[in-house]
Amino acid sequence: MSQLLNVQDFTLGFAGRDPLLNGISLHVDDGEAVALVGESGSGKSLTTRATLGLLPERSQHSGTVAVRGLNTLTARSAELLGLRRNKASMIFQDPRAGINPVRTVGDFLTETLVRWRGLSRAEALERAVEQLEQVGLRRASELVHQHPHQLSGGMLQRVMIAAALLDSPELLLCDEPTTALDVTTQAGIVKLLRDEQQARGMGMLFITHDLNLASSLCERVYVLRNGRVVEHGSAREVFLAPQEEYTRQLVGATPSIELDRVPAVPVAVEGEEPILSVDSLSKHYELPHGDTLTALDQATFTLPVGGSLGVVGESGSGKSTLARLVVGLETPSEGTLRLGVVDRPDRPLKARERKLLAKDVQIVFQDPYLSLDPRIAVGHAVADVFRLHQKQGRRQAQDSARELLGRVGIGPERFDAKPRALSGGQRQRVALAKALAARPRLLVLDEATSALDVSVQAQVLELVEELRDQLGLTILFVTHDLAVVSRLCSQVLVMHQGRIVEQGPTARILADPGDDYTRNLIGSRPRPLWDRDVITTP
Amino acid sequence: MTLSLSLPQQGLRRYTSALSPLAWAAVLVVAVVVAVSVFAPALAPYDPDYVDLNNVLAGPGAQHLLGTDALGRDLLSRLMVGGRTSLLGPTLVVLGSTLLGLLLGLAAGWSDGWAGKVLGRAFDILFAFPALLVSMLAVALFGKGLVAPIIAMTIAYVPYVARLTQGLVVSERARPYVQAYRVLGFRTPWVVLGRVLPNLIPTVGAQSALNFGYVLADLAALSFIGLGVQPPTSDWGAMIEESRGALLGGYVLPAFWPALVVVVVVVAVNVIGEEISDRIGGKLS
Amino acid sequence: MSVMDAPAGEPRSTQRHTTTPGRAARPRRLRFVLGKLFSLLLTLFIASLAVFFSRFLVPGDPARFLLRGRSPKPEALVEITRQFGLDKPAWEQYLNWLGGILHGDWGRSLTYRQDVSDVLLNRLPTTLQLVALAAVFITLLGLLAGIIASLNKGFGDRFILVTLTAAGAVPPFVAAIALVALFAVQLGWFPSFGSGDGFLGRVWHLTLPALALGITYIAFVARVTRSSMNEQLVREHVEVAMSRGLTRSSVVVRHVLRNALGPILTVSGVMIAGLLVSSAIIEQTFGLTGIGQLLVQSIDRLDFGVVQAIVMVVVTAFVVVNTVVDLLQPLIDPRIAAGTETR
Repeated sequence: MSQLLNVQDFTLGFAGRDPLLNGISLHVDDGEAVALVGESGSGKSLTTRATLGLLPERSQHSGTVAVRGLNTLTARSAELLGLRRNKASMIFQDPRAGINPVRTVGDFLTETLVRWRGLSRAEALERAVEQLEQVGLRRASELVHQHPHQLSGGMLQRVMIAAALLDSPELLLCDEPTTALDVTTQAGIVKLLRDEQQARGMGMLFITHDLNLASSLCERVYVLRNGRVVEHGSAREVFLAPQEEYTRQLVGATPSIELDRVPAVPVAVEGEEPILSVDSLSKHYELPHGDTLTALDQATFTLPVGGSLGVVGESGSGKSTLARLVVGLETPSEGTLRLGVVDRPDRPLKARERKLLAKDVQIVFQDPYLSLDPRIAVGHAVADVFRLHQKQGRRQAQDSARELLGRVGIGPERFDAKPRALSGGQRQRVALAKALAARPRLLVLDEATSALDVSVQAQVLELVEELRDQLGLTILFVTHDLAVVSRLCSQVLVMHQGRIVEQGPTARILADPGDDYTRNLIGSRPRPLWDRDVITTP
Repeated sequence: MTLSLSLPQQGLRRYTSALSPLAWAAVLVVAVVVAVSVFAPALAPYDPDYVDLNNVLAGPGAQHLLGTDALGRDLLSRLMVGGRTSLLGPTLVVLGSTLLGLLLGLAAGWSDGWAGKVLGRAFDILFAFPALLVSMLAVALFGKGLVAPIIAMTIAYVPYVARLTQGLVVSERARPYVQAYRVLGFRTPWVVLGRVLPNLIPTVGAQSALNFGYVLADLAALSFIGLGVQPPTSDWGAMIEESRGALLGGYVLPAFWPALVVVVVVVAVNVIGEEISDRIGGKLS
Repeated sequence: MSVMDAPAGEPRSTQRHTTTPGRAARPRRLRFVLGKLFSLLLTLFIASLAVFFSRFLVPGDPARFLLRGRSPKPEALVEITRQFGLDKPAWEQYLNWLGGILHGDWGRSLTYRQDVSDVLLNRLPTTLQLVALAAVFITLLGLLAGIIASLNKGFGDRFILVTLTAAGAVPPFVAAIALVALFAVQLGWFPSFGSGDGFLGRVWHLTLPALALGITYIAFVARVTRSSMNEQLVREHVEVAMSRGLTRSSVVVRHVLRNALGPILTVSGVMIAGLLVSSAIIEQTFGLTGIGQLLVQSIDRLDFGVVQAIVMVVVTAFVVVNTVVDLLQPLIDPRIAAGTETR
């Protein structure tokens, strides 16, 4: 029997442009889990799709991509259908986008069974229910009649996995299957994938940008960069003793929790008012159908001047709501929020109040593609803030903007650039400069580095640290990522479903969490396969 | 990372800098038609209303480039002068409805709560009155002519611009960059008029270009059924109506020329509108 | 994608969504239907206000306005004042008019000296047949052209697109003239006038008018079909379906066309009003005795009561059809009634 997946010297591109994939060679054997690790634009998704013969239109390619000896680059469409139906299945990144929203879950699962496995609808549905139960979904017989929007993201990804397994594939392709999910959900999915792969002896090609995740699931790793394989080998070797410079950088930039590197809690100055004190703060939203959603429930904490507080939680934890309340984008429903010496009114802020508040607190948002005005040159955008807040003239404001942009690493040659001409990391630097131009005392970072590649994220975090120390900023860092918090924040506040479940010094909470949810959050972080045997569960 | 392309990521300049050849041709057509119409009294070879019963339904020739109609009037002259009435109406309607629609749409999109809801509901109700119907009602009330239909159509086209603007503003104000302006303490009027509005203009402009074609066709239709421009004033729609008798007698040209001009102008503005809308992600109806 | 819409994202917690659809969704669905019906009534109410009070925009004596073009004899003025209740307060006039409409009493036509409802009912079938035939053309040709364009990237798509741009720019009255010139005058295949007898005669007489009426809308539906399908074609769920080994035709039918139906249906609903109004021009051109021609004639003959009635009929047809479309949408996309997806 020929090799399960064998890619030889695979090159793909469009006429007149640099190739997107350049001489990629890799292989996956039966029963083996292999990771394909790379940052955005490295070509990892293209490679996986080519395995199923899903090539971009009008692309040119050479080399071979062979599954059990069938070259998908040259195969006839009937052969490709056979391959997709019987040999290889794929699990996609975003299950909410990947399952047809207007059809039922049952329809999604059974459409292949009814079409060419010759099952009746009833038989197919029975098989689907069994499979759903096997991937850990309860009340599967009800689920099959529901539509995707009625299920959570984690449940949907299990549905997607169930659909892939129904075809009993020999090769399972996973394209960042947990990126859209929360970390605790991710842990469950990863375990399921690992168990199924082992039990069925499937070959698995697992694509991810996350080295930690790769090492928790796969024995072998290929590191991809700009369409080339930079390094490959056993996960342990690549992770612990990377040979190539790029891999070393990648490993170094990958966030990890290192307790000895957590910043120390600053010594509170006697009698000094905290910059932010929040007492029993709640925020309710009226939902369209008359229900009330409590996004933030009775939050109480203080943030001393010069401190750095991490707010950690999964989606729906209320952490973003908290950030928006602090910067005045939302109005509190109950409780008090005191910034410096000013109590926040329980009504929308007036223009004058907003301008005053702006000098105290600023925010940087997550999405670098949406957080800058697309029409305004970046230098101009920063200069506008100087003119508003520092009462500077046009000339002076431009000089100040140039200087500040230089400080965040944006050279004067980009002063007149539109945001679209900048990379994600550069945009976040500009967003940072815009916020700092108001000279705030408190800076809120709302998942400000989450959308960036790990190497870019590391640079931006470094910049934030630097600026914090130089400008004496107080930082409120909202994130889902414990590792990022451990690096930047001396104190942490863990949120779950609108409530603060635990708060205190970062080092203490990470080492000795007092709450079950925190413990679950920490325990859900992917752990390398080779560490599993060493660490005994507490 | 998938980028949301529902709005222009850049200013107007980029749209004009790289027009396709087809769009350039469309711009050229519109420019020529507008110029000829504006200078028609000077350019027209004959008095458009001069009746020459010795020379009816003449074919194209050296004397009458496009021929004459059933009353012996020069078709080219009528076509040129007719452009004035035929284009003025749509221009006024589009200007008026775009301005009003932008204002109401901005107001509706920016105001939270009931004001936005009430305005949105008002736009929905206005949608139930098609422009041609409203202008017919206006004629029934105020008599034949173009003044009443133009005012009526302006109102009828407001919801098209307003609804679009409202939707754009709502999605735009939820964007982080607008929220960043708020957090930075910029005043709302400055943000709305100075920063958000310019980002909407290409999209709204594309819609207005499409509207121009519809209005031109509707007003011509109104004149065609005898409710708009009254004879002997020349107007493309009215010219087609006047030529129906000749058409049934086998004389195609007197109806063909004005029909051709109407179609060409509508195609041209549609092409321009589509070109803009394609570049910004195609969210227009 | 965006994390900014925190409140909208929050309800996606696991607990909320493990409830069975039956219990939680039924009152929600009922509320959806009731909401749509309420907005139907509200729109009709406001439309009736607008239609009725439009008369009050005209300055001067309403009796003389209503009798324009006719001899304003004193007895005629007295009669019109009595018939329209012009001596009563405005709101009472409105209530009487509305009450009349709801009871089928639509007033009397000055031109025909008949009840307006009788005049309308006589002419309605022709218009409905015309619009129905046009709708058949629009659905068949529009959908077909849109689907073909969407599935044949490259030359086919561009050819159809150019044709559609040209066809979409032909106003119905120009199309009518062109079709008459070609098929009636030159070729003599179809009649250019009248509505014909018997079913086949009807269809034969209505073919050219229906085509003329439909041509803009054919282009319109084709464009929406094309762009709606193109939007679906790049969705991830389509790629997933491909990756599972579904044939191209299954993918297109089950996952592309099926999901593209919503916008197509919405556009079709909005078209109805335009079709009814444009039929006025088409009927006038082809000498069909429908309500469109009646509208034009009544404006011409200054018979305002009839104009008012027809405007109300068209607006009502539009609002009712669009409410039906809105109520059908949740069957096409279940997310709409649940309120997680808004259009």
